Amino acid sequence: MKLKTMTAGLALATAFGAGAALAADDTLDIVFINDGHVAPYHVAWLTGFEDAIAAYDKAFEDVKVSGRWLSAEGSLEKMIQQTEVTINERPDVMFVNAINVDAFEPLVAKAQAEGITWIAVHSPMESADYSFTLGDVANGTNQGMAMCALSKGEPFKVGVMLGQAGNPSGEARREGILKGIATCDNVEVVAEQPADWDTVKAQTIAENWFTQYPDLNAISGVTDAYMYPSIAIATNAGNTDIQFYGYDGDIPIIQQMESGQVMADILLSGTREGWNFVQMAYRIHKGETPEKVYDFFTPLVLTEENHKIALEHGFPEDVQVYYVPQALEVAAKGYLEFGPDSVK
Amino acid sequence: MPDVGRLLREKNIIFVTLALALVFYLISPRFLSLDNMSAISRQIVPIGLIALGQFFVVVSGNIDLSLGMGSVLWAIVLGVFFGLTGGVALGIVAVIAFSLMAGFFNGVMVSKLKLPAFIVTLSMLFVAQGLSGLIIPRGQQIFLMGGFFKFVGAEKFMGFYWSFLFLVALYLAAYIVYNHTRWGAYVIAIGNSEENARLAGIKVDRVKIGIFMFSALCSGFAGIILSSRMGFVQPGLDGNGLLLDGIAAIIIGGVLILGGRGTIGGAFWGLLFIGVINNALNLLNVEDVWHQVFKGTVILAALGANWVLWQSRQIEAQ
Amino acid sequence: MMTSTATLASGTPKKAIDSLMLRYLVLIGLIVIASVGFSIANENFYSLTNIGILLRSIAVLFLLAMGMTFIMLTGGIDLSIGSNVAFSGAVGVLTLVTTGSAALGFATSILAGMLIGGINGFFIGRLKLSPFMVSLATYALARGLALVLYDANSINVDNAAFLWLGGVSWGNMPVVIPFVALVFIALSVLLYQTPFGRDVYAAGANANTAFVLGRRPERTLVWVYVLSGALAGLSAIITVGRVSSGQPWAGLYLEFDAITAVILGGTSLFGGRGKLLGTILGVLLYGIIINGLVLTGTNPYLQSLIKGLILLGVVLLDTLTQKGKAA
Repeated sequence: MKLKTMTAGLALATAFGAGAALAADDTLDIVFINDGHVAPYHVAWLTGFEDAIAAYDKAFEDVKVSGRWLSAEGSLEKMIQQTEVTINERPDVMFVNAINVDAFEPLVAKAQAEGITWIAVHSPMESADYSFTLGDVANGTNQGMAMCALSKGEPFKVGVMLGQAGNPSGEARREGILKGIATCDNVEVVAEQPADWDTVKAQTIAENWFTQYPDLNAISGVTDAYMYPSIAIATNAGNTDIQFYGYDGDIPIIQQMESGQVMADILLSGTREGWNFVQMAYRIHKGETPEKVYDFFTPLVLTEENHKIALEHGFPEDVQVYYVPQALEVAAKGYLEFGPDSVK
Repeated sequence: MPDVGRLLREKNIIFVTLALALVFYLISPRFLSLDNMSAISRQIVPIGLIALGQFFVVVSGNIDLSLGMGSVLWAIVLGVFFGLTGGVALGIVAVIAFSLMAGFFNGVMVSKLKLPAFIVTLSMLFVAQGLSGLIIPRGQQIFLMGGFFKFVGAEKFMGFYWSFLFLVALYLAAYIVYNHTRWGAYVIAIGNSEENARLAGIKVDRVKIGIFMFSALCSGFAGIILSSRMGFVQPGLDGNGLLLDGIAAIIIGGVLILGGRGTIGGAFWGLLFIGVINNALNLLNVEDVWHQVFKGTVILAALGANWVLWQSRQIEAQ
Repeated sequence: MMTSTATLASGTPKKAIDSLMLRYLVLIGLIVIASVGFSIANENFYSLTNIGILLRSIAVLFLLAMGMTFIMLTGGIDLSIGSNVAFSGAVGVLTLVTTGSAALGFATSILAGMLIGGINGFFIGRLKLSPFMVSLATYALARGLALVLYDANSINVDNAAFLWLGGVSWGNMPVVIPFVALVFIALSVLLYQTPFGRDVYAAGANANTAFVLGRRPERTLVWVYVLSGALAGLSAIITVGRVSSGQPWAGLYLEFDAITAVILGGTSLFGGRGKLLGTILGVLLYGIIINGLVLTGTNPYLQSLIKGLILLGVVLLDTLTQKGKAA
């Protein structure tokens, strides 16, 4: 009985692994090791990565492009094990979204000794071949400045939902948001609370803030994952005046901009980022050398109308802004910017 | 005079909760506002459902670790059916049917095959976690719109959320079953000694299967309410957090984990206590890193208090 | 039922050992099947480097699972070990950073682990409270204390002596593996050759009988949890060496991995039955499965499902073979 279950499980596992081998003359094997796989952003990210691998493999006759992703499910030890195993597999390029960069320094050297190109994701690493970064502080500042401008100089109270304590992306985004808000005197941060990237926790915090601060004007977050449950709570309570300032460029959140609840978002878009990974790996494979610290292009998203209002209230003209239709198009279709056509 | 002392000891959780509420009120007057009370009442519903299911399992001397992750799976089952059919009826039926089947499976494994409940339900935790991601296409979110979800998630009756009233009704029904029916007496008897229960002619296996079916059904209800409140479902919801809060609620409520002891009222007060703590830690902007320390200490203290109470009862009995 | 387990434990020890032997043969068979399966799927599986990686990644699990074996032999459970790895690591690393002494760091790390174990032992052994509930509380408490001590940030460690155990390899052989073997031998002596070991088995077989026979399960229980805490402290040192830093989220979910491995190894959750050798085999099998799932890039949701089914399958097998024996 147990033997059957075991072998069934193993057969399943084997079937899943089968696609990796097969030789072609020129091969590009990419592995993406991420810290998680369940948050909406992660899902879009990994999906974009998978789609891009398939598209590149199909588009170029002469190169066999393959790839896979692994999720450490939040555990540092697991991520280290996955990285060690992957180095032993000798792929061409590794993207590693390290839970903690210090812990990965020894492994970078090991990977490079095997001829693997190491690309540090989000948190830059000096030793890595390349670092793929988001510009979190600048993005956060844009979000905060947008809030300043769209509050039109009126007294304005905001609660800021943070990432897990100690998480570098979350800390950088927080720093940026507070910096942006500090550019005006009328916006007051009445509360800051980490929601640990968790939607249920975010909803509880939002609900508690609504009762604690009945005159709250806005909720700002370091991820769009906090926006869904907070908007649900506000809408169900019939509170349509409250504004939301998001971060991530999740498509459903950008869609809610036209109705006026979501005021601003940062267009990362997981889908785009996944596509950009594969494009970057392909460029390196073809002998190009991107910037050592590669900055992912992440514009601010506003409605056209709000952008006008913001400009009238002192929002800097040089900040690059995408309007909703363009943002939606780009967010959904990673191949527009980073597909095989972009490097042909 | 001795009656007051006894009351204080036996119902300590009520006084502790009230005292705590008073302290929080003094720090932040808004704590006792109607809005905040109603927010707490809604936040405790999923935890409360899981705690109630766990209550019967624990009193009978077992544990069910699958309740938290189960409720995430049931929320996603509801979402998947909603996505396929555009309606809720079929999804609700499916959640109820599947959760009862899962509970039946757990119950049979524990009673007929004599497997340890800890391991059976731990495996089911992993299975639920796996299925929750596998049945939803590429792990994406499903948005839940429509009257039913709004009704369950946000509508009120005479100032109370319907979901909270449902919870209270379920606790009342459980109170009656636990205190005034033979089935309730069987649960306690099994928790005290399975051998004696069997010798007394109680159909132990059947009662145990019933207990696990009820707890799984509670997690099904929790899934429905959780998803309605969120307005969407996704596999990454924190099911284990719900499980732990549910267990903490019944420990704090004085349920003795070795089985055979505990009151529904105690469990309900334990639940309120957890709700008040979770809410107050937010409202008072307590630094996140202290939350776990606080919870761990509270559970240890509650265990210690239960022990003292139990000792004093032993002495009284002699 | 009670009497039957008692006779099984005292009257017919030979039979119990036979069923365990059978179990170990099955485990070895499964290890072979799993290895062959994964090596077909991926040629790298058998490489020396991969075996080194595999062993290093389960070194900590060996230690924690051996501690858990002692506890489960007494019929208990310890959910706090994963958090305890983070907490005792925090104490050790902070001591190292402030005093600069690796020896003091080792000592405080192990003492801190024993402290959490002692809290568990006091509540479980002396107050006779449920191991599940008590260790659930210390699970939250130890993680919270680790977060507070680290202020949620990691701390870099570059003291070579402190990093040696967890970080250094001789060729493909991590130095931690011979160390684990030494601990295994020491714990085997403790469990099979000393009165304490006999008390552990007795406490699990039947707490009341053990008390009547003049053995004091209370004290045994306290020490069993302290032992598990000390092993968590040791694991913390190895983990710090492995990641060359102190991490507030170290040891996440390790308690479930350890419990799963011990169960795979044939130790009964009801206490009184099981051996350290089984645990070693259980950890190996578990490690091979996890390593293989990484090598094959299996979807994490499918991994959860497989984990759940294996766990359920193994306890089912246990019960079915036991039943066959009884009939």
